[in-house]
Amino acid sequence: MKNIVIGQYVPGNSYLYRLDPRTKIIGVIVLMTAVFLLKTIPQLLLALGLALVILISGRISIIRVLKGLKPLFILLLFTFFFQVFFNKEGALLLDETMTLSLASVAGIVLWTIVWRLSARMNRFRFLLLLIYLAGLYFLFVYLPYGYVLTSFPFRIYQKGLEMSIFVIIRLVIIITLSTVMTLTTKPTDLTQGLEKLMHPLKIVGIRSEDFALIISISLRFIPTILDEANKIMSAQASRGADFSEGRLKDKIKQIISLLVPMFIIAFKRSEELADAMESRNFVPGKPRTRISELVFGRLDILTTVFLIACLAGSIVSRVLS
Amino acid sequence: MAIQFREVSYHYPSGGVNFYQAITDISLEIAPKDEFICLVGETGSGKSTLAQHMNALIFPTSGAVEIFGSKITSKRNKKIKYNDLRKHVGLVFQFPEYQLFEETVEKDIMFGPLNFKVPHDEAKLLAEKAIRQVGLDETYLKRNPFNLSGGEKKRVSIAGILALDPSILVLDEPTSGLDPAGKKQLMELFAKIHRDTGKTTIVITHDMDLVYEYATRVLVLHEGGLVFDGVPEALFRRDDLQSFSLDYPETIRIMKLVKTEFDLDIDIYKQTVTEAAREIERVMLG
Repeated sequence: MKNIVIGQYVPGNSYLYRLDPRTKIIGVIVLMTAVFLLKTIPQLLLALGLALVILISGRISIIRVLKGLKPLFILLLFTFFFQVFFNKEGALLLDETMTLSLASVAGIVLWTIVWRLSARMNRFRFLLLLIYLAGLYFLFVYLPYGYVLTSFPFRIYQKGLEMSIFVIIRLVIIITLSTVMTLTTKPTDLTQGLEKLMHPLKIVGIRSEDFALIISISLRFIPTILDEANKIMSAQASRGADFSEGRLKDKIKQIISLLVPMFIIAFKRSEELADAMESRNFVPGKPRTRISELVFGRLDILTTVFLIACLAGSIVSRVLS
Repeated sequence: MAIQFREVSYHYPSGGVNFYQAITDISLEIAPKDEFICLVGETGSGKSTLAQHMNALIFPTSGAVEIFGSKITSKRNKKIKYNDLRKHVGLVFQFPEYQLFEETVEKDIMFGPLNFKVPHDEAKLLAEKAIRQVGLDETYLKRNPFNLSGGEKKRVSIAGILALDPSILVLDEPTSGLDPAGKKQLMELFAKIHRDTGKTTIVITHDMDLVYEYATRVLVLHEGGLVFDGVPEALFRRDDLQSFSLDYPETIRIMKLVKTEFDLDIDIYKQTVTEAAREIERVMLG
C-alpha cells in the first residue's frame, strides 16, 4: 500500500507535454473512436504503428508504457482465451483431444510445483505463466496414459484466432493512448482541461468548476489519506491486529478498526479544509481567476488537423469496406 | 539486552510521501528494565522511524535489530512471529486517539489482548487494571471513547497498549496537543508506571524540560544519525545543542542567566525549578 503512485505523470518537455490538456483529452477520445471504427487486422496494425510513432516522437519510453500495461496482462490473456475457445467460426486450425488421465494429473501436479517454485523470481512472472499454460496444453494432449478420468475435444478456429488477436491489438492501442495522456499531463492540468471542456454544460445547470474542484481536492488528498491509513494500520498492528491473516470474523473486526478511525479523520479533515477555504473567501459557484490560463496554440491546431485526418481516414476505411 | 540495533539504516521507498525520512547506521542497546529513555531530535530526524523498528513494524533496509532474541533484518523470516514481538514492545503512536474505534472504552482496551488470544474474562480484568494505571476510574470503561476529552482519549489509547502488558513501552510524542498541565500530568503518569513496574520506557519528545526532569538516558537523532547517547546532564553540558536544533531546558537557561548577570558561583545543572530555586537561595543566603 505504501507504493501506490497516483497519476502517472512523468516530467518531460516533448511536444506532447506542451499540448493543451483539452487537446489531449479530445485527442484521446477521437483516436479511440477512430480505432473502434477499424475493421481488419492490417488496419489495426497501421493504427498501432501510428501509436508507436506518437510514443517515439513524443520521447516517451516504451518500457514505461509496457509497465502501464502490466496490470492488464491478465485481462488481455483472459480476452485472448475467451475468444479462442468460444468463437467457432471459420476454418478449423487445430483439433486435438485433451485427456485428463492419471499420467497427465501427475504431470500437472509436478508442472504446477515447478511453476510455483520458479515463480519466486518475480521478474519474469508473466512469461512463466505463459510457459506454464503452454506446458499444460502439452500435458493434456500427449499424456493419455493410465486410467482416463475424462476427455474433451480442443479446437481452434481461424475466425476465433483472428478475433482474439484483433481484440487484443485494439485493447493495447487504447490503453497506450490513454497512458500517453496520463504520462504527459499533470493531474491538475487534466482537471483544468476537463473543467473547460465541461463548461458548456452550464446550460443544463451543471457547474463544471465544482466538479473540477471536487476532482482536484480528491486527487490532492489521496496520498494524505493513504499516509493516514498506513499510520492507523501500524497503530492497530501494535495492538496485535493482523490485516493479512486470520479468519474472516477476525478480519472484519480488524478492517473495522481501520475504517472507523479513517472516516473520523476524513470528516474532521474535510471540515477543516472547508473552514480554511471559507476563510480565504471561497464562495461556491462564484467565478474565480486562475494563475495560469490554458492557451490553445499553434501546436494544438496542428494536432487537431491530425486528429481530423485520423478520424476521416478510419471513417473512409469503414465506409469502403 | 532487550533491544539491540546493529548498524541499522532505513530508507523509505522512493515515490512515497515520507521520502525525506530515514535513519542511517544506528547502533544502540536498550535494557529491559529500569531505563527511562527520552528520544529527541528535530522534526524529520527519524525518531518515529527508529521507534517503529523497535516492534518490527518496519524492517531495516540494512543492518539488524534484535528484539528479545529475534533478529529482524530486511528480509521477512517465517520463523519469527512478528505479531508476538509487538506484545513485548508496546508502541503508542503519536495522536493515539485516532486509533479508537469501539463503542465503549472497555471494548477498545480489550481489542489488543483479544488479538493476542487472551480469554475474554482475563482481557476484561486487564482492561480494568490498565484504566487504573492511566489514572482514570472504572466508570470510564462503559463510556463511549468519542465523547471523552482529548487528554482522556490519549489516556484510554495508552491503556490499550498497557493492557498488553508489554516489557518495554515506547511512546511517540505522547504529550503533543496537550496543554502544559496535561503534559505534566501525563509525564508524571509515565514516570509512575516506570517506578511501579520498572519497565523500560522510551518517550519521544520535544520538551527539554521534561527530558531533564524524567530521563535517565537521552538519545539525540540528527538528520537520521544518532549523535548523542548518554545521561541528560552530559547532553546539556555541551554547548553545541543548537546545531542539532535543540534547546536547553528552561531551568538551565535561567540559571545560566543568573550566573552571568549576578556573577554567582552556582551549580546551574539543576533538574527541577524547585532544586534551582534552592541552589540560588543557598548561594544568596550563604
